[in-house]
Amino acid sequence: MIRKTKNDAELDDFGRFSEPALLILVSLAEGPRHGYSMTEDIEAIADVRLGPGTLYGALARLEARGLIEALKSEDRRNPYRLTTLGERALRARLDSMMAVARTGQRRLANA
Amino acid sequence: MNWLLQLYPARWRERYGEEFGAVLASQRASVGLVLDVLGGAIDAHLYPQLQNSNPKPIKEEDTMTLLMLQRCSAGGPKLSPRDQRIASFFMILSALVMAVLYIALTKIYHSVPAVQAVGYASFPALCLVYGEAAYLRKRRGLTQVFILLGGLSGMYLFILAVCVIGNRF
Repeated sequence: MIRKTKNDAELDDFGRFSEPALLILVSLAEGPRHGYSMTEDIEAIADVRLGPGTLYGALARLEARGLIEALKSEDRRNPYRLTTLGERALRARLDSMMAVARTGQRRLANA
Repeated sequence: MNWLLQLYPARWRERYGEEFGAVLASQRASVGLVLDVLGGAIDAHLYPQLQNSNPKPIKEEDTMTLLMLQRCSAGGPKLSPRDQRIASFFMILSALVMAVLYIALTKIYHSVPAVQAVGYASFPALCLVYGEAAYLRKRRGLTQVFILLGGLSGMYLFILAVCVIGNRF
């Protein structure tokens, strides 16, 4: 059972959008990006190409939770950035994942 | 492929339509892409509340200004339609009361400085009433009474003094 903190729980009820949401947060951790740039970045880091339906379903949820916010842009592509809350949620989720990964690797090494 | 956008709710298209179209146009047409967009459209219809969270993107430089305005205006510059309606109702009601009061005082006391001051003070008083009803309605009752009565009294006395001095020349 993965121990969850309050911040980590922010991503819990995203349903099928949980993984895309996490990938979006990881992508935005480097700085503001617009939708197209996010799909390219996510494909590069996770070898997953998010379709626009999935991408904007996850973006809308993240925005509604205040984990990301849209910035004004001159062209039709609004960039998004992580909020402080989003950064905390991402850190918490990555910490949980790393704890599980470390445990799994340690057990495999002892097997 | 942009015709697929029509499957989304109007409010969703208004918020995300342009950038969604840009991402859609950048991807190669495939059955998987169509299914993904269809799934997204169903999701957007099932969860319309997701489109209400942040309808307009904020400018980076707006953030600090908004925070400062929220501090200064004791309730925030973003008045809800309900707050606006309540504040407007109080302002209209106050305007009617002030008008009746001014007419009655003029009939009884004619144009003495105290009555003139009521007439001159009516417009700023309405602004004060609107501001109080809009921004301070959720504050403690005592705070509201202090600001409203204190503000009205101070303003009336100042205008009265101006009228008295003005009538001497």
